[in-house]
Amino acid sequence: MTQNTSGNGPLPAATDDATEDQSWLRRRISGPATAILAATVLLFVASAILQPESLRGSSLAGMLPFAAVLAIVAVGQTLVIQQGGIDLSVPGFMSLTVVIVTHYPAGDSGKLPVAVLGAFVIAALGGLASGLLVSRVGVTSIVVTLGMNALLYGAVLGISGGIPRSTTQALRDIATAKAVGVPMTVVLAVIITAIVGFCIKRTVVGRRFEAIGSSNQAARAIGLPVRRHQLAAYVAAALLYCTAGVLLAGVVSAPSAFQGDTYLLPSVAAVVLGGTSLLGGRGSVVASAVAALFLSQLAQVLLTSGVNSAVRNLVEAFALAVGVAIYSVDWNRVLSTLNVRERSAAGASTGA
Amino acid sequence: MSLKQRKFPALAATAVLSMGLAACGGSGSSGSGASGGGAGAPANANVPPWCGAKKITLALADGFGGNAWRQVTRAEAKDEASKCPNVTQYLYSDGQGNTQKAISDIQGFTAKGVTAMVVFPDAGKAMLPALRSAYKAGVVTVPYRVSPGGEAGKDYDYFVDTDFKQAGVLWANWLVKALKDKGNVVNLGGPAANSQSQDEYDGMMSVLKDHPGIKFIGQTPYNVTNWDPAETQKVVTGLLAKYPQIDAITTDYGNALASSFPAFQQANRKIPPIATEDANLLGCDYKKAKDSGKGFQLFTVSSQNWMSRLAVQVAVAKASGGVIPKNMTAPQLAFEDSITSKPNPVKCDTSLPADAFLSSKLTPAQQAAALKG
Repeated sequence: MTQNTSGNGPLPAATDDATEDQSWLRRRISGPATAILAATVLLFVASAILQPESLRGSSLAGMLPFAAVLAIVAVGQTLVIQQGGIDLSVPGFMSLTVVIVTHYPAGDSGKLPVAVLGAFVIAALGGLASGLLVSRVGVTSIVVTLGMNALLYGAVLGISGGIPRSTTQALRDIATAKAVGVPMTVVLAVIITAIVGFCIKRTVVGRRFEAIGSSNQAARAIGLPVRRHQLAAYVAAALLYCTAGVLLAGVVSAPSAFQGDTYLLPSVAAVVLGGTSLLGGRGSVVASAVAALFLSQLAQVLLTSGVNSAVRNLVEAFALAVGVAIYSVDWNRVLSTLNVRERSAAGASTGA
Repeated sequence: MSLKQRKFPALAATAVLSMGLAACGGSGSSGSGASGGGAGAPANANVPPWCGAKKITLALADGFGGNAWRQVTRAEAKDEASKCPNVTQYLYSDGQGNTQKAISDIQGFTAKGVTAMVVFPDAGKAMLPALRSAYKAGVVTVPYRVSPGGEAGKDYDYFVDTDFKQAGVLWANWLVKALKDKGNVVNLGGPAANSQSQDEYDGMMSVLKDHPGIKFIGQTPYNVTNWDPAETQKVVTGLLAKYPQIDAITTDYGNALASSFPAFQQANRKIPPIATEDANLLGCDYKKAKDSGKGFQLFTVSSQNWMSRLAVQVAVAKASGGVIPKNMTAPQLAFEDSITSKPNPVKCDTSLPADAFLSSKLTPAQQAAALKG
């Protein structure tokens, strides 16, 4: 049993075939978007069988905008996590955006464009500050974004005093508009995910971005501009949170002043379910966005099924645990350990 | 747990996150100047009976101050204190939803030597030791709205409470009238296991047990919404998908429900009768819906911002030697009823923010000022 501590080490010939099968299986299920995509399809099939009401037009129309908002947040969180960080300032950026685009216009749709522009400028500055502290000063991202979140909440309270305002009609119309029957929020989420996904997987900058996330030192050694890419992750993420905040303000017609609060953990959960390593490097924004849809539909099915909130929390936690287990447990090793145990048990019994 | 903590759970996450930074905040109690002038002036006809002859200082230790309800409630307390010229100084502190800070605020006021203290003990029993030590130190201590446990006369002077069951009874009586004894009702409440939503449900059941035609559907005692507009929207969407027939909705946070009205539109359903607490946004949405020919029936109980006035009266009376109010339970009162227009028709004041409370005893100008922060 101590022979195969690495899991990938040479195994006795008898189990070679089995190991190949297992690693093939592992490669398949850990392919970035495959696993979560399969899980999502499975979830929708299960929904159709168990809770067909949850797939009715009105139900989908209620769920999809929230899923779209979460998807955009998850894409942002993915970028930061790919750089080996974690972004705890999601609630701050989202809430501040919601407050800016509802308080400044105060119902006057004419002032909306300025408010939205202002929100993006502030988000960019906030992201820049976080990014500089992480990449230049070398402060850990968890500390920087925690502090940034507190600062942003200060701004939220400063602007709103904790008092919410209703969304302007124009923003509401935009966020609830439909393009060929598909909610605008979903269209935007798909476009954003596609663009970011393309940039990361198919452009030089994107490939460098992922390489730097994998190993800082290696990237620095071959002369890649590590700091600039890290900085870009925080700025891009902040802009994505801001986009999500604007849409959320439109979707929730009477948002609270702290509307971003409920997005921090789901955003990390979506990234994890999407298979992006929390240690940085390899990852897929598309998988994160799909995971956001998965989490939203899961919540909606559970709501529709009418189970109580305790069961809801348990099921959601279970889904997350399974997701994490699929990616983070070294199944080859577990299986080979089990094999060795079986064999040694068998050996022991024949020996006796 | 009280309704007015509704933003508290939402804030808790942030509070936890920013703990490291917030901990440095100290007990920053913001003093605001004296309210009563006329030092030593003889009592005149305008001075209320609860205002005694002794000169006192009064403090309001709020467990959390960052939402509209709290700001209006705080302004009501200050307004009430200003009626008594013998309150020479009025102090306020905001616990910011942080139990540590709330405790140190109370200790700070005790050390400062205030005569009387009104406390909103958001953290419940966790606040009892601080209240007790203030009481033992001779400060007149009056917690209100959220029970800190303990005993009046032993751990603090008096507890000013309210009976949320009574709100449930008022809602149920209206439902019986609005639904003509028959229909499916959905009840929306705050976070799981909060006592307020539970009490309201119990109150409703005490009436509805005699009206078997009216049934609760969905989760009982209540569907968990965390008093969050987005969550409410999701919950309502789910309920609309599951139940083809919803005849009425009861909820203790009307503003959050208002944000889910579009869900009814999406599902091609009419907004059913609603029984809740008063909120300006809801009243204005009612008017909008009515004007567009899609009106619904609405009944509200008062949001009770004026409850802090009763707490101030009790504390000041005890400390200054005035007449202590006999009834220390703030009554739940009907506020708006779209069917009978009694005691009021549905109100909407577009000059005030959506989160204003028209059942407040402040003037609109006072309330607008309070909500500016």
